[in-house]
Amino acid sequence: MLEKNLIEDVLRAVLKHGGDFSEIFFEKRYSNRMEMKDGKVEWVTSGETTGVGIRGFLGTKSVYAYTNDLSRSNLLEVAKRVGEALGETKKEDLVFNFDVSKRKEKHFVLYYPKDVKKSEKVLVMRRAYDAAKNHSTLIKQVVVNYWEYDQEILVVNSEGTWAEDRRVRTRLMVSAVAEKDGTLESGFYGPGAGMGFEFFDRIDVEEVGRRAARIAARMVEAEPAPAGRMTVVIANGFGGVIFHEAVGHALEATTVAKGASVFAGKLGQKVAAECVSAVDDATIPNGWGSANVDDEGTPTQRTPLIDKGVLVGYLVDKLGERRMGMKSTGSGRRQDYTFPPTSRMSNTFILPGDYHPEEIISATDYGLYAKSMGGGSVNPTTGEFNFAVQEAYLIEKGRITKPVRGATLIGKGYEIIQKIDMVGNDLAREQGMCGSFSGSVPADVGQPTIRVREIVVGGRSR
Amino acid sequence: MTFEGFKDKVFSLGKKKGVEVQLRYRENREFNIRLANGELDQYTDASKFSVTVEVLKDGKLGRYRTESFEDPERCLEEALTNLEVIDSEEKEHFYEGGVYPRMEIFFGEFEKLSVREKMKMVEIAYRSALEKDGIFMVPLVLYNETTNRTVIANTLGLNVESKRDGGIIFVMALAKDVNPRSGAWVEVGISPSDLKPEEVGRKAAEEALSYVGARKLKSGKYPAVLRNNVLTELFEMFFPMVSAEHVQKNMSPLKGKLGQKIAADRVTIWDLPFYPKSLNNAPFDDEGVPTREKRVVDRGILTVYLHNLKTAKKEGKEPTGNAIDGRISPVNLVLEPGEEPFEDLLKILRRGILITEIEGMHAGANSVSGEFSLFAKGLWVEDGTPAHAVEEITISGNFLELLKRVVAVGKDLRISTGRAICPSVLVEALDIAGE
Repeated sequence: MLEKNLIEDVLRAVLKHGGDFSEIFFEKRYSNRMEMKDGKVEWVTSGETTGVGIRGFLGTKSVYAYTNDLSRSNLLEVAKRVGEALGETKKEDLVFNFDVSKRKEKHFVLYYPKDVKKSEKVLVMRRAYDAAKNHSTLIKQVVVNYWEYDQEILVVNSEGTWAEDRRVRTRLMVSAVAEKDGTLESGFYGPGAGMGFEFFDRIDVEEVGRRAARIAARMVEAEPAPAGRMTVVIANGFGGVIFHEAVGHALEATTVAKGASVFAGKLGQKVAAECVSAVDDATIPNGWGSANVDDEGTPTQRTPLIDKGVLVGYLVDKLGERRMGMKSTGSGRRQDYTFPPTSRMSNTFILPGDYHPEEIISATDYGLYAKSMGGGSVNPTTGEFNFAVQEAYLIEKGRITKPVRGATLIGKGYEIIQKIDMVGNDLAREQGMCGSFSGSVPADVGQPTIRVREIVVGGRSR
Repeated sequence: MTFEGFKDKVFSLGKKKGVEVQLRYRENREFNIRLANGELDQYTDASKFSVTVEVLKDGKLGRYRTESFEDPERCLEEALTNLEVIDSEEKEHFYEGGVYPRMEIFFGEFEKLSVREKMKMVEIAYRSALEKDGIFMVPLVLYNETTNRTVIANTLGLNVESKRDGGIIFVMALAKDVNPRSGAWVEVGISPSDLKPEEVGRKAAEEALSYVGARKLKSGKYPAVLRNNVLTELFEMFFPMVSAEHVQKNMSPLKGKLGQKIAADRVTIWDLPFYPKSLNNAPFDDEGVPTREKRVVDRGILTVYLHNLKTAKKEGKEPTGNAIDGRISPVNLVLEPGEEPFEDLLKILRRGILITEIEGMHAGANSVSGEFSLFAKGLWVEDGTPAHAVEEITISGNFLELLKRVVAVGKDLRISTGRAICPSVLVEALDIAGE
């Protein structure tokens, strides 16, 4: 880590040349990635990154610089450049009073990445591989990826914040490829957690492989999904990507503060169906998107976003505080020191309702059952979102009938959340990587099974 | 310690251990400015470096990545530990060096520009978008410039170096309608004069305005023109299909299709190490292998797969210089332009749809199956001219089927942020989902 007096000098060096707020972010990260193809470990890369990001504000203007030359002279030079780019108010000889009170650790890790031999991790990969490969004779290829990192951060700012955090992430990802009559199809499943190697005592490793294989094997035999507007039942877990894309991104201060979000200025108003309540919660112990403090040193929290259809909260970072006059929700996140932080989601999900998932399907005369979702994206200024369905089935007369493939769901976020008419009681969260201005960060999406009365399904017409 | 000192140390340590060693050193500098509603939102001025240490023993390769020259011994040890885990019998290789294409890819024009001049460029882009009638907000203007230096050296004697720079301007504008309509434009360049901020702003505004009054469209099969910017994005899903690794591993629908017809006669696809004004130009790939020109698809016939050292040697072939971004990828994939100006493609189309924007490639396009289903925006074309915009549609199909259905290729090549350089094309039938 950096010396306290160097940190203070960096914060001073920014403000001496300009700005009214300065911040230093130090990061040290060990990461390891391994890939297995055809049952053989082919690729292992580990590494360490160490760097510093220096940021200054002047009002709502933000200047950022990063470097991995941690020499005193370079850091002071970078700090000076940040201050000069901000200009105006110059403060000399500032004295800081840091609040270094020890935070309460909420995310205990048993085995850190470096504590466990890679050969043991390979055994986990092999179990997932075998389960996928043996699932069906249609499975022609299985790729297993193992990712882990151990990130230590320190954030200090001129307002007295002094925060340290250590985040460990472990993830197992399986891609399976099925082939039938010359047609290929793939399936993916990739659970992860804010845990170390103990994660594999908590999950069914074989099921990870089987699930990826099941998707590939079912979908390779499926016919194209129907096209057009229809009722869609979205299964629990990764189905929550619909809320993440359709609503979550548009609640981030980055977009709201500019007035560019479709949800700007709608606090306290009814924006969703009454059966919809949703939260962002970065405090879930060992959650994939959890942390003790965010990347600006603000303690994380559980933030209600929608309560019975009423918009009750936004996701706010420090710049958002200044722009919106609201308190930070501990949502300032960044991929690593090469990105300035911005408001981001952590673990975001729709809260459970009353229906059993079977009840929702049996109440649906015709529609699509989206069992496993792929990723998606959104334009938060228009609310237009899209996301891919990995595994889908037709619902006919209240029953799941045949598998269909190649479906995409599109629409406008603010319209879709008004059209949710049934919410199940089977809340589950799953893991993904979320990309935005401040890079790619681990984020949980989640929901119980839900039904959307009407949504455009991008399939093939016949 | 400097890179040279680190290199000497790691190489001599490698010799003692009886392993070959390769280093890939990267130095990046970036400068960017982001305007939100015309105000400076983010300003980044930064640099970093990284080194990847690779060790090779008995055909196995272990890697370790570091951002510090402090501890060469440990870097080598970590790479060796990683090597021990590998149990693949497929042999890895290092390259000894070769003859490299000569090309100019560093100009230094961006560095020469003052911050004030760069600020002026984004302000021009902002104003030119905002002053268009009907535009009520320009939420985002981005200016970004990067300089990268790469050195690859190994104990077999390889020692190559390259440096390149480039920049982009991106503008997003919102037009007034019942719902806001967004439009965006981006321009890339090897010199600030390529970026044309005024034009980028105006085009972003025109894009947004073109979607005003959008109507729904009935689901069905329609003849369609895919505009050049759409095709450059869609072609990203073709890259893994022509990767020899994906072919060897049963992950490409083009497996076993070498020498076969996979596209319409009009379709010829090149991989070029150099294309004027592209930001991807490179004399060598990540393994230090010279990049080289090749026709990937020749009048509809698949002629080569793209290789790295490992996949090439496995088949007893020459590597093709396509180990890029940690995978096998083209340098500049160029769809050979045809004769028709863009307007003529619309005339040939007469009645159908012009696709002007797609979203969701990272999830909605599957390069294993070739299937895609993507959110799209476009304009309905009547009598060869755009009549009105359409909204809430997806385009879907199989990419390889699409290549067979190309009936005309435009001459309007577009260079963008990706690795594909494409003109607009007319396809005879495209599945659209809407109402």
